[in-house]
Amino acid sequence: MDAVLLKPTLYTSSGALLGGRCACGHVFFPMQTYGCEVCGRHGADLQPMTLSGRGTLLSSTVVHIHADKARATPFTIGKVLLADGPVVRTLLVDPDREIAPGTPMVTALVSTDDGTLDLRFAPEPSP
Amino acid sequence: MTRTLKDLRPVYVVGVGWHPYQNPSETPYVTLGVTAIRQALADARIEWPAVESAYVATALLGMAAGRPMLRHLGATGLPLSHVENASASGSTAFRQACIEVASGLADVSLAVGVDKRNPVRRESTGLDHLAEDAIAQFTHFSLLTNEYAHRHGVSFEDIARVAVKNHRNGAKNPNAQRRKERTLEEVLGGRKVAGSLTPLQCTPVGEGAAAAIVASEDAIRRLGIDPSRAIRVAGSTARSERVYAAGLGFDAVLTKETTAVALAEAQIAAADLDIIELHDAFTVEELHYIENIGLCPEGQGVHLLKDGALDIGGRCAVNPSGGLIAMGHPIGPTGIGQIGEITLQLRGAAGPRQHAGARTGLAHMVGVGAVCYVHILQRP
Repeated sequence: MDAVLLKPTLYTSSGALLGGRCACGHVFFPMQTYGCEVCGRHGADLQPMTLSGRGTLLSSTVVHIHADKARATPFTIGKVLLADGPVVRTLLVDPDREIAPGTPMVTALVSTDDGTLDLRFAPEPSP
Repeated sequence: MTRTLKDLRPVYVVGVGWHPYQNPSETPYVTLGVTAIRQALADARIEWPAVESAYVATALLGMAAGRPMLRHLGATGLPLSHVENASASGSTAFRQACIEVASGLADVSLAVGVDKRNPVRRESTGLDHLAEDAIAQFTHFSLLTNEYAHRHGVSFEDIARVAVKNHRNGAKNPNAQRRKERTLEEVLGGRKVAGSLTPLQCTPVGEGAAAAIVASEDAIRRLGIDPSRAIRVAGSTARSERVYAAGLGFDAVLTKETTAVALAEAQIAAADLDIIELHDAFTVEELHYIENIGLCPEGQGVHLLKDGALDIGGRCAVNPSGGLIAMGHPIGPTGIGQIGEITLQLRGAAGPRQHAGARTGLAHMVGVGAVCYVHILQRP
């Protein structure tokens, strides 16, 4: 895949998320070394951890109005409990459909207006 | 060994005042602020030089807005500080004023909140995010609305009844930004903002001011303040968010933790509350917070709402001022305005909004961060 990622510090071209893990065991996203929210360890005690990009939908909502006119509406925001532990909130692939809580979700990379690829979540395809 | 506010000398609210909350206008913030302070002074029946310190709550006016406002009351040289704590700015200023009087460092202190609707500016933390810029506050609460409806099998129509009650209360409040009763159909109508949320289920951020003057028993005697109009601050608690189990709503859990400490400090139970003013910026919040304050088990709030238990005259009047949804949420003033409403209620002076026999009230605010402030007030 040759396309440029919109936010390469947050995810990979395979749809994995670039998180971190503290020596105390706390898993977080995105990666940072400022300090652990649970125990306060910092620096080298916080190590990068690649998160799988799979999770379970906790909630979603279709947004009809947004202050930033550059962001076209409607769009859908989902709250996903990642299999690795953290909860992330971001755009879903489908811009105008709420999805049932509990649905298994997986990351997907979609083309943006400027030609880069950005990360979204979508329901995991049925096997 | 730390102590609570109640372990220190008693503090009383002796004067409250407002500039009505309103849609953004050309009115300078100085006019808003001095109007509220002069009303609070008149309510306490004291003069400005009696005020020994001032805490100015503002989130959107930029640096050092207080002195250019307070000088028009007479530049007495009183110590002055600015308090910014997002939606809880006013509650924080009130707590600081209470602490100063309770500690004995001042006999009379002022908390005043004033704001205009200016853009919010928050410095980057240096960490990137997936799409946080796409998640406005109403989107955050729309997600919580959908979670609540799904988890507890509650309809969006029933959640929207919070707004019907609070608009009804606000219609009776001359200081409210929205002063019109609304039917459930009206609340559910209008274009959707996000998910099921409609504009009448969201707070209208505007402008305004609120002031509260607190005093010690020494000051009440010395200044000849009528003790029967003084309302005791029986508890003051502040906390900030911890790391909670995945999927728990942080505002709700933080509310539960903070309220539990405040009720223990005041040595009362949730069932003793006659009045609650809480942070209902969005309808679902009122259900989350009454459940976490302890009025009923989780998921049961709609039953209380539909039974009228949360109405003025019900079991516990929740947001008799109209709350953030109808009274408004000018940010800096909001938490102080709650203290003002509870003070009027506990004096029996709330006019057409009066909840009969009110003895004990609780003021609750959350602010982005998240932070949470709870105050408990009791009539003498």
